[in-house]
Amino acid sequence: MEKFFQRKVTVTLKYIIVALVSAILLMLIESSFAKREYAISAFLTVGLIAIAITYLTNFSIPMKFFLPGMLFLFAFVVGPILYTVAMSGFHFQTGNYISKPESITQIISGGIRPDAAQTTFDVVIGEDPGKKLEILASDPTNKKYFLSTATSKTDLDPAGLAIDGNGDATVAPGFTALTPSEQAAQDKALGSTRFAYSTDFFITIEGGNVASLKEQSLKYDSSTDTFTNVLTHAVYRDNGRGNFTNIKDKNDQLQPGWRAPIWFENYTKLLTDPQIRSALIPVFIWTIVFASLTVLTQFALGLLIAMTLNRKLHGRRIYRSILILPYAMPSIMSILIWGGMFDTEFGAINHLFGSHVHWFQSALYARLAVIIVNLWLGFPYFYLICSGALQAIPAELSEAAAIDGASSRQIFRKITLPLLLQVVSPLLVASFAFNFNNFNIIYLLTGGGPQNTLGGAVAGSTDILISYTYKIAFSAGNQNLGLASAISVVIFVIIASISLYGIRRSKVLDSFK
Amino acid sequence: MIQRKFGKVAALTVAAGLISGFVSAPVHAASNTIIVWADETRGPHLQQVIAAKGDWVPGYTIKIVPFSSFDALNAAFGNATALTGPDIVVGANDWVSTGAKNGKLAPVTLSSSVRANFTANNLFDLSYKGVLYGVPLDVNNVSMLYNSKLTGKPGTLTQMVKFYLANKSADKLTAGLCVAGGGMSWGAESVLNALGGAPYVMTASGTVDPTADPVPAATVAANIKRLFLGANGKSNGFFPATDTGCKTAFLAGTVPYAIIGNWEWQDYAKAGFDMNNLMPVPGLNHGKFGSAYASVSGAMLTTFAAQHGVDQGAKSLLNNFFGSSAGAVAYQNVELRPPANKKAQKNASVTAAQKGFGKAGAVAGLPQIGAILNGAAGSKSFWDLLPAFWTDVLVNGKDPQTSAAAMDAFFKTNIAAGIPQL
Amino acid sequence: MKRWIKEDLWRHALLLVTCFFVLFPIYLVFLSALSPTGSLQVTSFIPKTISFKNFHLLFTSPKIPYLVWMKNSVVIAGLVAVLSVVIGAASAFSFSRLRFRGKKKGLQLLLLVQMFPAILSLSAVYVIMERVYNFAPRIGLGTEPGLLLVYLGGAMGVNIWLLKGFVDSIPIELDEAAKVDGASAVQTYWLIFVPLAAPILAVVSLLSFIGTFNEFILARLFLVDQNSRTIAVGLQSFISGQYATNWGPFAAGSIIASIPLVAIFLSLQRYIISGLTAGSVKG
Repeated sequence: MEKFFQRKVTVTLKYIIVALVSAILLMLIESSFAKREYAISAFLTVGLIAIAITYLTNFSIPMKFFLPGMLFLFAFVVGPILYTVAMSGFHFQTGNYISKPESITQIISGGIRPDAAQTTFDVVIGEDPGKKLEILASDPTNKKYFLSTATSKTDLDPAGLAIDGNGDATVAPGFTALTPSEQAAQDKALGSTRFAYSTDFFITIEGGNVASLKEQSLKYDSSTDTFTNVLTHAVYRDNGRGNFTNIKDKNDQLQPGWRAPIWFENYTKLLTDPQIRSALIPVFIWTIVFASLTVLTQFALGLLIAMTLNRKLHGRRIYRSILILPYAMPSIMSILIWGGMFDTEFGAINHLFGSHVHWFQSALYARLAVIIVNLWLGFPYFYLICSGALQAIPAELSEAAAIDGASSRQIFRKITLPLLLQVVSPLLVASFAFNFNNFNIIYLLTGGGPQNTLGGAVAGSTDILISYTYKIAFSAGNQNLGLASAISVVIFVIIASISLYGIRRSKVLDSFK
Repeated sequence: MIQRKFGKVAALTVAAGLISGFVSAPVHAASNTIIVWADETRGPHLQQVIAAKGDWVPGYTIKIVPFSSFDALNAAFGNATALTGPDIVVGANDWVSTGAKNGKLAPVTLSSSVRANFTANNLFDLSYKGVLYGVPLDVNNVSMLYNSKLTGKPGTLTQMVKFYLANKSADKLTAGLCVAGGGMSWGAESVLNALGGAPYVMTASGTVDPTADPVPAATVAANIKRLFLGANGKSNGFFPATDTGCKTAFLAGTVPYAIIGNWEWQDYAKAGFDMNNLMPVPGLNHGKFGSAYASVSGAMLTTFAAQHGVDQGAKSLLNNFFGSSAGAVAYQNVELRPPANKKAQKNASVTAAQKGFGKAGAVAGLPQIGAILNGAAGSKSFWDLLPAFWTDVLVNGKDPQTSAAAMDAFFKTNIAAGIPQL
Repeated sequence: MKRWIKEDLWRHALLLVTCFFVLFPIYLVFLSALSPTGSLQVTSFIPKTISFKNFHLLFTSPKIPYLVWMKNSVVIAGLVAVLSVVIGAASAFSFSRLRFRGKKKGLQLLLLVQMFPAILSLSAVYVIMERVYNFAPRIGLGTEPGLLLVYLGGAMGVNIWLLKGFVDSIPIELDEAAKVDGASAVQTYWLIFVPLAAPILAVVSLLSFIGTFNEFILARLFLVDQNSRTIAVGLQSFISGQYATNWGPFAAGSIIASIPLVAIFLSLQRYIISGLTAGSVKG
């Protein structure tokens, strides 16, 4: 009876959770669909169906376990990866950032230029008797006053007007001023109305009580998808690469442009552009060296410490407590303080050793510094892992070997290390992958430098692929997100192949069926 | 069986009712709210000023969103779209060209009275291709401060070097002149200028000279050899190639001259340094100085404002608050940076140091032109070139003339590519 | 005595050198926090003046709600630690113990997605969460639940991979025995596996906790409001100003922020090692 009751409770609980999650998803699907976020809507629908099938039927037992994890992984890891892959096919950089319709809207509004004298008027915003928007404009310096609507302009005689201290007219016949809240409610209309002035010029409101004289220099023709400059008669056509370009002068482009699909051009550029290509190879080699050396040194020191502490020793607890400190400190702080320590003039390291090494100005020393700091940051992790693993290796094994006359070195090489490696090799692979993309340490410690900038180098000596890509994607002025995405995809393919090869060889995934 | 299904459906319905309140309840932002993004110092100060007097734009509510840091603000604005983006963003002048090219910033036409509050240089700083995108807010510049306990007011760079070499060991000096604020490019530009070089040369009429040689390699190299290098061709210790530790060393009294930033003058004043000892970096001859950049940060209009339906409100806020003298004084009394607004600069409530930096900028100031400094595609930016130059010459022992010529070539490329964008 | 010299002396020597290596930078963090000027470059190893100004600032300045930041960090990191392990453990169990088609591919996928340069997918995450905000403002960009969702997604790959490695080493005989007794996979999971794996789960949640506690790149985009910031975002704000950097409060804040982490580590040290041990009982 008790068992039956327990089962009833857990089953009910399961249904409640499934119902809750489904309800939330349904709600989200509905509202995302209403807001035209179709991609998200579709993903959520697939998720909902998968949840319903998995938990309300016995379709697949394993899925009951891994579905939630996979949904999260797809939404926030795989999704963004696919987005990046998609972006690598676009001409996506500073100047080509928004969509084409957005770009056209902005070229049109950017094509409205103030007149040469940058004439502005003080205005009162209101309505004409027909409730149409109207402005009462004053030019106090020239003592000119007029009313203007979208269609007509009426000059006023200053003699008949009440003029305030600033020389502005405030009331006019037939004109009713709008209250601030009425104006706020009509913000969009006020912003888009062109009040009449002359045949070439019109007036736009530039907030509250200022208006300025404008002319439209660029006109868009949607049937031919071209812009025409009214003043110079230049015609601008979509160049297929995200810009409207003057048909007579390729270098005359309208801005902003948009991100246009250029398919594989970003990838071919990696091979054809000598500047990018020549930087990629040394960076790639250093990335591999950096990640390997990091894992190797961290693991070696971690293991050494774990073995040293793997027996009764005075002060063992204190040692342990101290040795895991780097792991518990915020790593940003640690990296930055190390950066200060390596300073040539004022750094603690030169101070301590009485040396005068230019740590961050020399490629070799900078690389050494990166490895040292990363060792500091990461060895406690391997110390913890290794000491756990060492304790688990049955003592009988090594004792038996010792009785058979094996030296302690032999015991280590033939028994301890192989057993240990079996346990930690997945973690070594994961650590290699982590360090391959360890952006923080490079960015915060050396910034990728030293870099032979004057010699024309585009990457620094300690730049790893991810920090190099970051420079391309986010450096001041010229951000090439499309190219950076392409490099990311290439990095990903390379590291994925290496890791898969490594996994196959070490048979990490085969050990359990 | 039927009961079970009923149970499921019932649970589902109840749950739906409960959840709908949480997830889909819209977070209503009133339709006439102007959203302003700012960094960790300007944001809270703007909040304070707006809270004290909120009716700068009648009919609208102003909401200031202070980010946790300038970097965070930069990252967020770089990613923002109309969905959640701001109507006005308070940022650095070098955001203008990128923001305009990416369609994130919208053109602004200021009333003539507001425009009269600012210098042409400051408005130029917030323009791209001749179009203005915002209102200047505060001026950022660097200036040299000398330690009057160690030395007197120097007349020339040569005198400074002589003083350093003569008193190096007796006073235990760690350096002669170092850069404490602004970094080895922006902050150290006046040193390059004092030596006879510049990233670009201005004509008398205030435009970039397309033909002048920015870094006359032979001259600059000769000056560096004479002043900054020892007989062995390595640095004589007068001018360190990095800015790390300069502030501490100067405050500790082991460096006689330092280039400091106007955003942290209070740290120096508190340590007992007299702000009257601020001056531009002396040049090679008496009365000549190295020009330093004076850049403005500004409040910029975004294209999102029109999409949010508060374009007019945002423009009014720029004119009525950010651009007006009353707004600038109210704000700078809290923010304590040198105001860009000319009337606010003269206002009695603005402090001496705020004015002092302004004066140093006026004696030897250089307009900061992002379109040239950020570098052309395939070239290098000034921000990377100058630090690399110092390192090559002062640390790596490379030939100053070769290095200067290499830098000069990059500068020329950047000038040629930048001028059409002005 | 001789044995001590032979066997323990080198151990002590090695450990002392390593401890010096570990403690030296930490000592400098303290020096920096206690110096009134707060600089990362140290001019002398023995401080001339000691000032608690930086610590004082953290708890008295109305602009720095340090304790609120701390609370937020503990709540967010705590939730991520618990939830990601709850979800991850189930996945790890299925990948370790159950047989199904595509398991190997799934595992490879898990490992590979972690190798994608995350810095670039950051923009994509921003775009996605901005869109989510568009239709569900409570869980989209700029909200704590939104950040939590993104963290959970990000933690999944690592956690499942780590947990799977540990789970593999729990003797399979135990759950096979249960299977013989007629227990379903779900029962095996709850009744046999979860109790056995408890120490491992605790360790992995601790690792998630630390990772989340230190994360600021995403958090600074989501947690804009002063009172919703985490400690990592708050500390970052001291050193990422437009021009100025305040190393003093940053160092002081880092020291205090690391106290709970160090305390957890030290008090659970035995448990952590045994958790990892349980994770490596193999063969």
